Order: sequence, then structure tokens, then C-alpha cells
Amino acid sequence: MQGLKISMAAVLLMGSTLSAAAQDGQFAGKTIEVVVPFGEGGATFVSAKFLEPYFEKHLPGNPDIDVVSRPGGGSILGANWFEQNAKSDGTTILFTTSSTANPFVLGQEGVDYRLADYRVAFSHPFSAVAYVSPSTGITSAADIKNSSTPLLYGGIAAAASDLPGLLSFEVLDIDVRSVLGFNGRGPVRLAFEQGELNLDYQFTPVYLTQVVPSVAEGRAVPLWTGGSMVDGVLKGRDPIAPELPSVYEVYEAMNGETPSGIEWEAFQGVASVTYAYGLTGYMHPDTSKEVLDAFATAAAAINADPEFQAESQKVTNGARLNAGPNTEAAIKAALSPSDEVRTYLRNLLSEKFGVNF
Amino acid sequence: MIEPALSALDALFDPIRLAALFAGMLVGMVFGMLPGLGGVAAVSILLPFVYYLDDYSGLAMLLGAISVVYTADTITSVLLGAPGSPASAPTAIEGHALAKKGEAGRALGVGFLASMVGGLVGAAVLFFAIPIAGPIVLMLGTPELFMFALVGLFFASSMIGKDLAKGLAAACLGVLLGVVGPAQAAADFRFTFGQVYLLDGFSLTIVALGLFGVAEVISMLAAGGSISHERMKVTKWGDGFHDFWKSRWLVLRASIIGVFGGFVPAVGASASTWVAYGHAIRSTKDKTKFGKGEIRGIAASEGANNATVISDLVPTLLFSVPGGPAAAIFLGALFSFGYYPGPRMITQNPDLMFLIVWSVALTSIVGAALCFAVTPMLARLTRIPFAIIAAPLILIMVIGAYQSTSTMGDIFMLFLLGGLGWLMKHGGWPRAPALVGFVLAGPMEQYFWLTNQIHGWSWLTRPGVLIIGSIIFIPFLLSAYRWVRAHGQETALQVPVETDEDDAGTPQASKGVALVLAAIATVLFLYALWELFSFNPASRLMPALTIVPGLPLALWLLVRGVREFNNDFERDARELWILVALVAYAFVVWAIGLSIPTGLLIAWMLLAKAKMRLWTSLIYGGVVFAIIRVLFELLRGDAPVGALIPLS
Repeated sequence: MQGLKISMAAVLLMGSTLSAAAQDGQFAGKTIEVVVPFGEGGATFVSAKFLEPYFEKHLPGNPDIDVVSRPGGGSILGANWFEQNAKSDGTTILFTTSSTANPFVLGQEGVDYRLADYRVAFSHPFSAVAYVSPSTGITSAADIKNSSTPLLYGGIAAAASDLPGLLSFEVLDIDVRSVLGFNGRGPVRLAFEQGELNLDYQFTPVYLTQVVPSVAEGRAVPLWTGGSMVDGVLKGRDPIAPELPSVYEVYEAMNGETPSGIEWEAFQGVASVTYAYGLTGYMHPDTSKEVLDAFATAAAAINADPEFQAESQKVTNGARLNAGPNTEAAIKAALSPSDEVRTYLRNLLSEKFGVNF
Repeated sequence: MIEPALSALDALFDPIRLAALFAGMLVGMVFGMLPGLGGVAAVSILLPFVYYLDDYSGLAMLLGAISVVYTADTITSVLLGAPGSPASAPTAIEGHALAKKGEAGRALGVGFLASMVGGLVGAAVLFFAIPIAGPIVLMLGTPELFMFALVGLFFASSMIGKDLAKGLAAACLGVLLGVVGPAQAAADFRFTFGQVYLLDGFSLTIVALGLFGVAEVISMLAAGGSISHERMKVTKWGDGFHDFWKSRWLVLRASIIGVFGGFVPAVGASASTWVAYGHAIRSTKDKTKFGKGEIRGIAASEGANNATVISDLVPTLLFSVPGGPAAAIFLGALFSFGYYPGPRMITQNPDLMFLIVWSVALTSIVGAALCFAVTPMLARLTRIPFAIIAAPLILIMVIGAYQSTSTMGDIFMLFLLGGLGWLMKHGGWPRAPALVGFVLAGPMEQYFWLTNQIHGWSWLTRPGVLIIGSIIFIPFLLSAYRWVRAHGQETALQVPVETDEDDAGTPQASKGVALVLAAIATVLFLYALWELFSFNPASRLMPALTIVPGLPLALWLLVRGVREFNNDFERDARELWILVALVAYAFVVWAIGLSIPTGLLIAWMLLAKAKMRLWTSLIYGGVVFAIIRVLFELLRGDAPVGALIPLS
């Protein structure tokens, strides 16, 4: 049956490329399955649902998009499923975050998917903002080392989405005690509001809807963002909060020189797949150029769609989709770090956070 | 406050919104009744339709489904003995025992009314919570959550049963199952045997279905005949009302326990249901009927699980932190409609808040009424030969299990744990403590670790901790006081209770099975002890806490088993063969995909077990097969594909 499916797919693909000129769109009458390897209520699923109507509208042939959740194994099960079942005609997309990328980069057990071989259809930033409680006496990023109380950060697991946050503390050389083992970022934020923790990172939608009101009420002090990619370096300001410096700028202000060295390289690699390319749609390694071009064109059209602009202004402060060869090159570079960086990450995780490889 | 409440009621009484609410309610009822499929499945199947509706209608539809699931699951738990959802396992224990005595009507009546009250208490809390629950949730820091887990454990101790060694060993085994997967404290994956499947640990649905559902189906299938040998008196609702009225304060207390369960993110309905059930045992003078059909057990657990699922919405709406899995999907839907819950939502969207309250309250009442209405029809199911119901029942449990990860691992685990549940049932190990241990292991470890990391030991003096701690110490001191006063009298301390098996159906525990189970438990604990040393120190605490008492208990039961052994396997041979057939079914599905073995399983059950005629079974079996395939398509998009022959 699977063999049959694949050959059917091949026939369909051939048919569609042959008649592409005649048809009005290469995806006409097709269904694109978007696999989200997390649960149904999660941020990634909600983001996929958010993008769904715009891709249906702007992809040639107006395909049906079906967002499917396949949770399990901290996203490894869903990604492994994609490895085995993805079609190469662009009708299966793995839409995921750094929670899938980090185990791949670190070479963890159970990873069957070859993420660095996948093609990148499109990507959406998933910015993060660091903030502290006013009880620390800190009023801005420059103050971070002058906290009046020990800094306590809450997280889920070192090797998952907390990794860039933890690495940013390494880059800036701040003394932070990390308490890992929470169920999710929601409970972490609750613990922050309860006064149990005093340093936290939150991602785009939650930052805008939950943390910004706290800042207005004087219950949180925003510090910095992960930054955005400028000429291949994670140094630009993030559109989510353009008034805040990036980690790069904070380092520069603290030390009077630009960040470099293994800590910075590791942070930049991990943080770019977590933040700048936080939500990425991956495709089968054999996906054709026509399909990738169609997605790049659609991404550009979505970015120009006034309805999308208005909606994204509300939810993400106007973040835009990325697609095309440059995006793919940046993601692939981050997914294949140098042996040095990989060793550094593995050592840090196993020595400081007790991760077994 | 009154004005937005009334305008929200007015908004809800729009015909399309009411239709959406009741459509959601019907879906919720059906999924509540299907064992293993609950609120999460109902909400995820409705989710695509929600986006075609306006925001209020769409959200009303989801709320209709969420708030009725724990009312409708009572039907399955009572009539079939397989928990309709994990949180109704206590109802399955007590209610099914009553059903076998022909008292299903009483059990269901109390269950529905308690569910309704639980729902209404939940709705009232939401209504008043809007101004006051925020501070309460904020007061519940990690130390308080840890204390709640301890209270749960304390109440659970009343479920240990007559045979202290077996009860405690069962609880330890449950905790051991609960620590499989990611450690909360450090980056260890415990007891995963290198299987990605186990990286998330066991799914609660599968553990509850395996331990209770599968074992029950096997026994009934082997016994032949129908579920109830007596005529069911479901038409006599009067008894149910009477019983309900007698336990009204218990239901109310249970609902409040349930509400607190909902306030705590990620502790869910199962934990609070067990706590309420433990509370029912503690507060009942004559404890002898627990496990054999005690109506107060149903009243407490049904009140609690409904209250929890609704108060799960409190942290969801006030802090955007979902209180449970169904609430998480609801939160996703809110996001999609452009609502971002948080402290400001009360002032920004008061109408929406009250719409939620009204939807939940209305469904609680109408849902309970509808359950009363359909039960006489469903109760006839208990008079027809069970083998006819068994085939679809087992397959629906397979689908329910398959919702966790959609991999073959789900199906293997269901029958593996089904085997364990069967062994426990026949070996005289109570299953309730095992499930409670499983449910509480995670939160206890997590909150203990977080508490100690954040606060050191200073948390012991927090006022919240002391207040919650008094829930444990006051009854403790009281019983100590009574013991001192009535020193010498045998009955002064609480009488341990048998909470598991019914008295009519299962005779004495099988000596042979008890020995086999003790041997398996010993091997598991020994292995766990060996692997324990490879973990980070922080990840060792919880497994050590269960291995240290568990291993000696298992060894002691092993010695006892050898001494008492007599070869009585013959007695359960029929059931054993059914278990073997089910495990074989799982393997064949793995090898050649879903369709062929499922067809064979249906045929075997209908022709060999139910002795149906060829033509009737062909038609009936065909319909069952078609429904199962459709459900697989609807819920997950694809059925398991064979590993050796790639059919599906």
C-alpha cells in the first residue's frame, strides 16, 4: 500500500508537472498535509492554523490545507513519522520548531529524521523577550549584573526550547540559577507572577498579550530580545520589540567589543533556529524547484496581503514570512554546526545540566 | 456584573448559537460514552467545524462538548465497567458492581445528578471566580501544589484494601509506571529501553483503559452471557434521586475538591476524582461496601470530575495557562478567534466570559437530562450477550489508545497493560492504588523538585502549605485521639477497605496468578533498581521512593506466593486464551496492518464467542468494521500500516 502510495504520488507529480502549463495552478484540487509534531492547543499548532487560510489563498491552484497534530516524544515521533511518510511533491510539510531541531543537532537517541537534508518551504520568526521582576532592582539590560537578589530562571528542559535562553546567559556571563522541570512556559510565567521566579523568556504571542500588560502595570521589566538576522549575523533588533537591544548589542555594551568565540557561535546557531527561523515548514529532500519556488512566491504574496498584515500586526507585531534560497541556506547552516560547536554544546549540557547522550 | 451576564445570556439564545452548543453537546456525549475517547477527541473532531462559525457559536460548540463528557462517561463506566474516561475509573469500580446486581438505575441516577451539580458548581465558581479566583490561583505556588499532591496520596491510602502487602505493592507498581519517561528534575529519560515511544512516559488514557477496561472485557467475554443477570431497573429513577439527596453534602464537598483540582494546571480531573473518592471512603462510616457497589463513591467522583473539567477553564481564562488537555485545545480556539485570555479579558470581553459560564451551566443541566432520557435504551445493551458488544468495545478502546501518539506502541501498550490489569484482578492486587500512584507520581516529583530548588526548605512555613497540610493532620490527630480513647477496641482505627473487586463476579484470588504477578513485579523492581544507578542524583529520588518499599513487598509476595501455590490456572484458562488472542491481534496489526486482523477479530468474537448466525454476523460485523475504519479516518487520518506487509 505504501509502495502504491509512493508510485501514485510519482504519477500525480509527473502528471502535474506535465500539465502545469495547461492547469491554472500546480496544487489545484490537492490537499497539503501540514504535520505539527505537538499537541492541538500548542503555540505551533495555533500558528499553523493562523497561516492556513493565507497559504490556501496564495498557493497556485488554491489547495486544501489540512493541519494535523502528531505529538509524542517531545516532537521526535511526529518528525520520525514525516521521515517515513513524506511525499516529495510538496503535499506533506513538517511544521515545527527548535524542539525538533535541537535533538537533531545534538545527535540524541531516537532521532531518525535527517532535518538538515530537508528542503525549507517557508519560515516564520518566533521571537523571544527576556524580562525580570522589578524586585531584582534591575531597570534595563545594562543592569543585569547588579541584581539585588539571586536570579532564578524557570524552564522545561535544557536540551529543548530553553537552550538558546540558557546559552544567552553563558554569552553574557550572568550568574543565573536555572530551575528546570516545569510543564511548559505557561506554568513558568505563572510562577514568575507568583514571585517564585524572577527571570523569564517568553515567545512572541504570549509576550505581546501577557507580558506587555504586566510591563505596563510595573510588574515586569523587559530586558532584551534574541535578535534578528542581519547579513548572516544575529545582531539586528527584533520587530516584536524594536525598542529593546538584542543579545549581541547587550554584549557589546557590556564588554566594549563584538561577541565572538565558541559561546557566541553556539548561541547564534541555536538561537537562529529558535527565534529568527522559529517556525519552519520543512519538505521532503527530493522536492522539486517548482514546488519550492511556488512556496517562495506564495510567501511573498502573503507578506503583501493587507489582511495578513493587519492580522499579524495584532498577533506578532507584524512579523513576516521568510522563504527562498537565503532562508534555506541560513537554516541549513544552523542545523549543521561545526564539530567544535557540537562538542561545546554536548559538554555544556552534560556537565552543567546532566543531559545524557 | 449583572448587565454583561444578562447580555451574554441573550447572545447565547441566538438560534444558531444554541444549535452549535447542543451539537457540541451531542458530540461530547458520544465521545464521553466511548471508552478512551473523551474531551480531547471530541474537541479535536469539532475543531475544524468551529472555524466555519462565528466566534461565540464556535466557542459554545466546544464548551458544549467539554462540559458533558464527564456526565456521559458515567453510562459506559456503570453499564460496561470500562471507564468512559480515565477520570471515571472510580465510577467504573462502584457503578459496575451495582449494575451487576441490577441496580444500574440507582448508580446512573446518582452519577448524572452528581455530574450536574459538579458542573453547576464549576460554572458558579467561574462566575464568581472572575473577580476572586485570580488571587487564589496566584496563591497556589509550587509548594502548595506539592501539598495538594500529598493530600491526594493521603486520601488514596484508604484504597489500599484488606491485603496490605498487595495494596501497597500495587501502589508502588503504579508509581513505577508513572516515573517512566522524562524525569522532572534532571535531563534523564528513565526506563525507556531506548524506545522513542516511551520518551513521554505512559499515557493516562492507556493505563486506565488497560488496567480496568481490557481486563473487564476479558472477564465478561469469558463468562459468557450478558452483563447483568438480573433485570435492570433503570426506569426506577426515584431511588437515584433519593440516594443523591442523602449524599448531597458529599457531592458538594467533592465538587469543591474538583474545583481546586481544576485550578492547578496540568493536574487534571483524574487526580481530583481519586481524591474525592478517597474522601468519600474516609467520610463514610460503614466502609465495607466500597469496591462492591457503594453509591457514595459514585456521587463523590462524578461530582469532582465535572467540577474539575469546568474549573480547568479558570487558569485558562485568567492566565492563558490551560488547566487540562481539553482546555488547552479550547485555548487554541480562543487564540484563533483573536481572544487572548489574561487578567484583562474580564474587563475587555465580559460578554465572552459570561457566555462561557452560561454555556457550561446550560449544558450541565440539559446534558444530564439527556443522559437520563437515553439510558433506558442503552441499558438494554446489558441484557444481550456481551460477546456481541465486546468486538466494537475493544476496537473503540484501540482507537482511544491510538489517539496518544498514533503509533503501534499505543496498541501494544493497551494490551500489555491490559495483561497487567488482568493479572492484578485475578491475583487479588487492587488496581485503584496502582492508578492513583501512576496519576500522582508525576506531579509529586515535579512539585517537590521545583519547590526545593526555588525555596530550599523555607517553603514548609508558608501559610498555604500549613493550611493544606492541616487537611492531612487534623483527621490524623482525630483518629489518633479516638484510638487513644477507645484503646483496646478493635474497630477504633479506620477499617481497611476492599475497594477493587465485586463480591459476586470474582471468587477468591487465583494462587497461580498471584505467584506469576509477584514474580513479574519482583523482576520489574529489580531491573528498576539496577537502572536507577545510571541516573542523575536528582532523578533518583522518586523511583527510589517506590523501589525501596516495592522490592521487599514484591519479594515477600513472591515467598508467600510460592508457599501458598497450587496449580489453579485451569480455572482462568478461558480468560487467558482471550488475553493471548488480544496480544496476538496487536502483533498481527503491527505486521500486516489494521484491516485483516480486525476483520478476523470481529469474526472470531461474533461466530465463536457470540455464536451468531453467519449472515447476521456478516452484516453486523461489516457495519462494525466500517464504523471503526471511519473513526480511524475521522480522528487521525490514517490507520496503522503493517510493518511486514504494508497494508493498512
